[in-house]
Amino acid sequence: MATWTWFHRLASPPHVYAFARRWTPWFGGFAALAMCAALYGGLVLAPEDYQQKDAFRMVYVHAPTAWLSLMIYTTMAVAAAVGLIWRMKVAHAAAAACAPVGAWFTVAALGTGMLWGKPMWGAYWVWDPRLTAELVLLFLYFGYMGLRAGIEDPAKADKASAVLAVVGVINVPIIKFSVEWWNSLHQTATVMQMGKPKMDFDMLWPLLLMFLAFALYFVAVLLIRLRAELLRRERNASWVREVLA
Amino acid sequence: MNEFLDMGGYGKYLWPAFALGFGIVVLNLVLALNSLTSAKQEAKRRMEMSQ
Repeated sequence: MATWTWFHRLASPPHVYAFARRWTPWFGGFAALAMCAALYGGLVLAPEDYQQKDAFRMVYVHAPTAWLSLMIYTTMAVAAAVGLIWRMKVAHAAAAACAPVGAWFTVAALGTGMLWGKPMWGAYWVWDPRLTAELVLLFLYFGYMGLRAGIEDPAKADKASAVLAVVGVINVPIIKFSVEWWNSLHQTATVMQMGKPKMDFDMLWPLLLMFLAFALYFVAVLLIRLRAELLRRERNASWVREVLA
Repeated sequence: MNEFLDMGGYGKYLWPAFALGFGIVVLNLVLALNSLTSAKQEAKRRMEMSQ
């Protein structure tokens, strides 16, 4: 019963708006602290890799951005599915708020990956399954945003873009397992794998901390964008007048 | 200091990667705050027009 009360409150725009306003500084503050500590750990404290030398330190920016690009798409697809199934406007607003952030982090993952690829593989870009699937992810984000922008009626835009987000989620496991299913230049998983991670603990903790920092940061940015979305959608509602008074 | 910036010869790839990644972190925060500010201004304008 308590679970359903919580779920119903999630469907209430003024409740979600107030929650977002209250918690954004906390998520943002902890994200900034964790990012600084993880940067120091990764760039200064972690020892160099025996094969990749100092170039391995690119993992501290590439892996979190790539992971976030997938996590944001998954969050967007889940929110879109909730919006479709329960016709929850807040869920559609959350999905819409995810898209630009996810697209930017896909650009970051591709860009940092290219800068790592040049010294390790000898080329900025190869049509490798992992890289190609990540590029498809960027086009999915563009498609989602383009579809929303192209449909004038917000309810229709919500539905059409949600279907695209849900169908496109098939690309997430393809990206994750591409390095195992096909021959790939990209290295296999070193952290997110069954059993013990392959990394030494001195290298691992800054990376895990950076993952946490990026996750907290994403929540903070999502909450800010969600507030903007709710204000635009609910501009004629009485609670908006009260909030802005 | 120079040794740290050189990163064993990989600095020319490593620092642009960090600049790009964390530049996008900052940019996303700025874009989100701008979006919220413009949504607030838009809502306030509508409120004033309806009064």
